[in-house]
Amino acid sequence: MDIKINNKIYEAKENETVLDVCRREGIRIPTLCAFEDLLRGAVCRLCLVEIGGRLTTSCTAKVCEGLEVITESEDINKARRINLELLWADHAGKCATCKKNLMCELQKLALEYKIENFHFIPRKGEITGQEELDLIRDNWSRVVVENENPCISRNSELCIECRRCINICPEKKFGFNHRGSAVVVGTPYEKVLDCSFCGKCIEVCPTGALTDKNDYVKIIDDLDNLEKFSVAVLDIDIKEKIKKQLTDITPEKNLKKLLTELGFEKIVEVEKENLEDEIIRKIKIEYAKHEKINPDNIVIFFISSKIYKKKNLGKYLDYVLSEREVARLVRNKEKIGKGKIHPIK
Amino acid sequence: MTDNLKVLTKYWGKINPLRIEDYICVGGYMALEKFIFKMNPEEAILEIKKSGLRGRGGAGFPTGDKLEMVARNSPCGVNFDYKIIPTSRDTPQGKKYFICNLEESEPGTYKDRLIVDNNPHLLLEGIIISALSIEAKKAYIYINGNYEKQKEILEIAISQAKEKKYWGENILGSNYNLEIEIYSGAGAYICGEETALINSIESNRGEPKIRPPFPTEAGLFGCPTAVSNTETISNIPWIISNGGERFARIGSKNSPGTKLFILSGAVAKPGIYEAPTGINVRKLIDQYAGGIKKGKEFWFAQIGGACGKLLLEKELKAKMEFCVGTGRDLSVQMGSGSILVVDKSVNIHDLLISWTDFFRRESCGKCVPCREGTFRLWEIAKRFRDGKISDRDKTAVEDILWTLDNTTFCPLGKFAGTAFRDAITKNILTF
Repeated sequence: MDIKINNKIYEAKENETVLDVCRREGIRIPTLCAFEDLLRGAVCRLCLVEIGGRLTTSCTAKVCEGLEVITESEDINKARRINLELLWADHAGKCATCKKNLMCELQKLALEYKIENFHFIPRKGEITGQEELDLIRDNWSRVVVENENPCISRNSELCIECRRCINICPEKKFGFNHRGSAVVVGTPYEKVLDCSFCGKCIEVCPTGALTDKNDYVKIIDDLDNLEKFSVAVLDIDIKEKIKKQLTDITPEKNLKKLLTELGFEKIVEVEKENLEDEIIRKIKIEYAKHEKINPDNIVIFFISSKIYKKKNLGKYLDYVLSEREVARLVRNKEKIGKGKIHPIK
Repeated sequence: MTDNLKVLTKYWGKINPLRIEDYICVGGYMALEKFIFKMNPEEAILEIKKSGLRGRGGAGFPTGDKLEMVARNSPCGVNFDYKIIPTSRDTPQGKKYFICNLEESEPGTYKDRLIVDNNPHLLLEGIIISALSIEAKKAYIYINGNYEKQKEILEIAISQAKEKKYWGENILGSNYNLEIEIYSGAGAYICGEETALINSIESNRGEPKIRPPFPTEAGLFGCPTAVSNTETISNIPWIISNGGERFARIGSKNSPGTKLFILSGAVAKPGIYEAPTGINVRKLIDQYAGGIKKGKEFWFAQIGGACGKLLLEKELKAKMEFCVGTGRDLSVQMGSGSILVVDKSVNIHDLLISWTDFFRRESCGKCVPCREGTFRLWEIAKRFRDGKISDRDKTAVEDILWTLDNTTFCPLGKFAGTAFRDAITKNILTF
């Protein structure tokens, strides 16, 4: 069937939503809750479009013959700006130190919609003075930080309640606790997260509320330490995943080069499914013996999406790094390398 | 038709609500007998359609149309992308449901509670007729968790009615079967919204669902479901006994019948009054509630609870209706039928905090504008307590009221700013 979007005619299939058509045709519609094929909750109210003069969420509006849609108007922009501003005020916004800095969907939208003139008092930020302390007393917001599980850092300061993690979790570990403005996404009775750690929730989280857990200071120390021999064991399908995270990988500046710049002395690729344990053992024992390196000085990084391995590293493995963590290390290194950030001496 | 006609409150205080015999003595369950022995479901629905009865919960959807939609929909015959959550209690195959909405939590509204307190069998009779007319095999009474006493009264009424074979298997010896269950919510305001209510019975979080599909197509456990307000249902026995046409002649043309009005605040005789629809607010205050309390000066009236509009003195001639703007005369959406009369001694800033605090607490937190917007309105209302407001907060209020009105997921958010907005536009508040 044919539908009209911004006065141009587009082909649409039965049962598609307006958002589906717009995404296929490259018409920009911001979304925070609708992620690929995930269940659509229509909760972020950013994908609003005008149908018949009324604001409607495009993620749930099914197409029908002769439908006329407008995706940009004064009202639409106003709605998106206000709703984004409300969200941004509920977000801690510690961007510079956030693990998701520059990869955060909320941050990108805030830039796109120029959220500058700010009307609301942040209610998850850091307090700097007595006046703010008085305000925050009324303005109090429930924050849940959990770092006790081995793989996933949870920080509800940064959560925007988009429900992606709730919808994607195969084990249904997350849900809404409390109600109204006190809503917190979390586990039942705020127990420590205990699951199979597939990492899907981290993948879909638009902000830094759910991130990979690791000791970055120690990792960077180990990488920079000349006495330590850092080995990167690349999992079978990880290269493609890292490429998705880092847009600036070119033939000249390939992954190997980037990893070497990060401080990895040796890069080993896993060529068959589930052979990593065997390879890691061999590096620590046979390779160390052959090259006459003290095995204690070999630091092995398994670069893989299998973040559940963090739970049980075993005898030989030192760290597991996900594609997101590698990308973050590269980005931070680049900034320092290009002189954008000067390390304090 | 006189103003004194009582459909709902006729026997209040005259019969013992805990004795089914008292109700039967005054002609109770005659409508059910008429329905079972002299009518078929289609005729009953036609009669309700003719009556023009509209939902008394606030939205005013025509009840007959709703019942007809559910009656026409084949059980689970609608193909939607709706995920049915199977539970051990119910299998969704071939079922339809009727739900009585007794989740009354609008501030200043207690009409449904009094219906149960004074004449629970009237409600029960209405539920049985409505459920049978759509061929539902099961009816739920979704009751506010705070209504513990009312739950007990209903439990007694239900067991008495079962003994008399007014529900259960082979009702009054006929082929009709019906099961009735009371389901107690946790007292959340949002669960009065029908899809949130359905979520709650399905053991999900009490929050509204995306529509379409509408509950009439795919409601409880994915089956066609009619959700009706307690007061609406209590009108059904009268309509069946006396005919829809007679009902349609009572009160206002576009929303006929009588309505329970609850007057509170600065009136001489606060309380609940049954009056025909279309009555104007002034008449309700002066003739029913005994006028303004001595020594008080009228300021404004709020119609329909915390989410209702505000009326100034000059607007009191507005008629109480469900369809606003159809007639020539000024009319106002009566909502749940509560009227809060505010006098000039009231601190408007305190009232503002009270309204905004209610919605901040009762928003389910699902969508951004309602979750964050209601919170911010409350926050600003508190800063506004001394009557001073910064330019920054002024812009914020305007933005929030706009986004609540235009972009929220469900009607709770849409109406959360009504009173605040009216207070500004009608100069009740110096803004």
